[in-house]
Amino acid sequence: MSILRLLASRILLSALTLLIVSVLIFLILEALPGDIATRILGRDATAKALEVLRSQLHLDQPPLTRYFHWLGNLLHGDFGASLATGRPIADVLGPRIVNTLLLSLFAFALYLVLALVPAIIQATNRGKAVDNVISVITLVLLSLPDFLLATILLFLFAVAIPILPALATVSENSTWPEMLRAMILPATTLAIMMAVYAIRVLRDSLIEVLRSDYVRLAELKGLRPAAVLWRHALPNALVPALNVTALNLGFLIGGVVIVERVFSYPGFGTLLIDALQLRDIPLIKATVMISAAVYVAANLVADICAVLLQPRLRTR
Amino acid sequence: MTAIVSRPARSLHGWHTTPGPFKAGAVILGVHLLFAIVGVFWTPYGYAEMGAGLPLSGTSWQHPMGLDQIGRDVFSRFMYGAHIVLLLSFAGTVLGMVTGAAIGLISGYVGGWLDDILQRVVEAMISIPFLALALVMIIAAGPALAGQPALIIVVVAIVYAPRITRIARAAAMEVATREYVAAAELRGEGTLSVVFREILPNTANVLLVEFSLRLSYAPILIGALGFLGFGIRPPTPEWGLMISENRNLLIASPMTVFGPGLGLASLVIGFNLFTDGLSRMLGQRPVMGA
Repeated sequence: MSILRLLASRILLSALTLLIVSVLIFLILEALPGDIATRILGRDATAKALEVLRSQLHLDQPPLTRYFHWLGNLLHGDFGASLATGRPIADVLGPRIVNTLLLSLFAFALYLVLALVPAIIQATNRGKAVDNVISVITLVLLSLPDFLLATILLFLFAVAIPILPALATVSENSTWPEMLRAMILPATTLAIMMAVYAIRVLRDSLIEVLRSDYVRLAELKGLRPAAVLWRHALPNALVPALNVTALNLGFLIGGVVIVERVFSYPGFGTLLIDALQLRDIPLIKATVMISAAVYVAANLVADICAVLLQPRLRTR
Repeated sequence: MTAIVSRPARSLHGWHTTPGPFKAGAVILGVHLLFAIVGVFWTPYGYAEMGAGLPLSGTSWQHPMGLDQIGRDVFSRFMYGAHIVLLLSFAGTVLGMVTGAAIGLISGYVGGWLDDILQRVVEAMISIPFLALALVMIIAAGPALAGQPALIIVVVAIVYAPRITRIARAAAMEVATREYVAAAELRGEGTLSVVFREILPNTANVLLVEFSLRLSYAPILIGALGFLGFGIRPPTPEWGLMISENRNLLIASPMTVFGPGLGLASLVIGFNLFTDGLSRMLGQRPVMGA
């Protein structure tokens, strides 16, 4: 019963957070003092262009009316029409979200491997040379901006050793092998960026668990070291890493903006950049709202997983 | 988010007793600072001087980072850009720190409905991916302000403030239960006096590490804005912007990209080592996160 109540309160809080996000986005984009149309188009804009934009954004109505109109439509899944193309935003979003979802899944699978393998090697060889080498590599990668890492990978594998395509331009006609090949570089960039955050946390928590009494007991029972690691140590060491993974999902949403841009991948991130460059206000609002919703949902799932994995938390 | 675990603080005295990462970080940052100061007063060529050499002629002793498409010496631009990156990062982080710490400390100490409301807003701001939030604010500021250093500073501050608020609030809530706070309240000190004279000094270590951690990431954030074309306006040689400008030259003259890239990466490595060492010296343990 208390678990259900906890879940219900977490879900309600998430919904409240998203409501505040919608207010913030609206305030930033449409309710700052001054004429919005001039601010968007610049002082050199013609009177006619300003007039068209004002009517497209319904600027004749008071802000409060516009906000509730937008929110009401949003709740029905209606994002309105793009200013730049006039097409319904929902139609534009669909294929882009699918592309980014595919890229993210690929990146996430790589991330699990790239985070777990070095952390396990480090924890089982604590204090040895290999532990220190991986620590240094992690620190260097942690300090690399994502746009630089993407450019380095692009230089290495598309220019110096040209085995992969420099541009990840996929279309609906692309076959699966083509899609996968195009996604290798952007997915690897994202996976490395996420993994460097998790490796440190995983290593520390794994070392702590390996020192614990129940792991000692399992060893004394005569279990093989591999079995101790996989059945006893790893599941318990993963709990602290869950939080990092939720944070990483948040990063992933921001990271795709840069990585998709570098590799010209037609996903959600390039759509956001295009919308910003064209100052397509309805499209900007929709994309930012969706990215916040994904972040909130990811955190909610991580919260729930943490509760289910650790019975102690259930009673809190 | 940064989880802070208190540990007994080590002695702060003596260069040979300070942790290795701190020393390495301090040396790297010192070199960067020196380089940036020299770059303000002297560069081999002008940072916007065209025709310093044959465009795309590659690297040489005269042009260690090569030349860009319009024949500007990339090393001179890199040198001049150093102080821009440092100043923007520092100013943005300080502004975000002051705002975030003030809101967080008051919110954590006062509690009640004020705390509830502030925390929901902070939560909502953190839910918007920081890059998206930064870009949306730049667009909202309009073309007149776009590319101005002041806008970049404010944007960095607004992205950082809610994240710092969260840390400051947690630290304040922990300190608020201590006896010296109760004593100050009994003496009849006002809320602001308690917050800034009792709570602030006792959360200083947490805030200092948080500041250092945020400062480490600021060059990346500013570089990303420049890289995407929403940062400082050309021809100002901000490093992220330079990497983006010279990306077409990746095949012809890779150093025009990797030169500024190396600078950016080494600066962030310096900040990260410094933060790591600082947190150990102050008995805090930061965990990096978005």
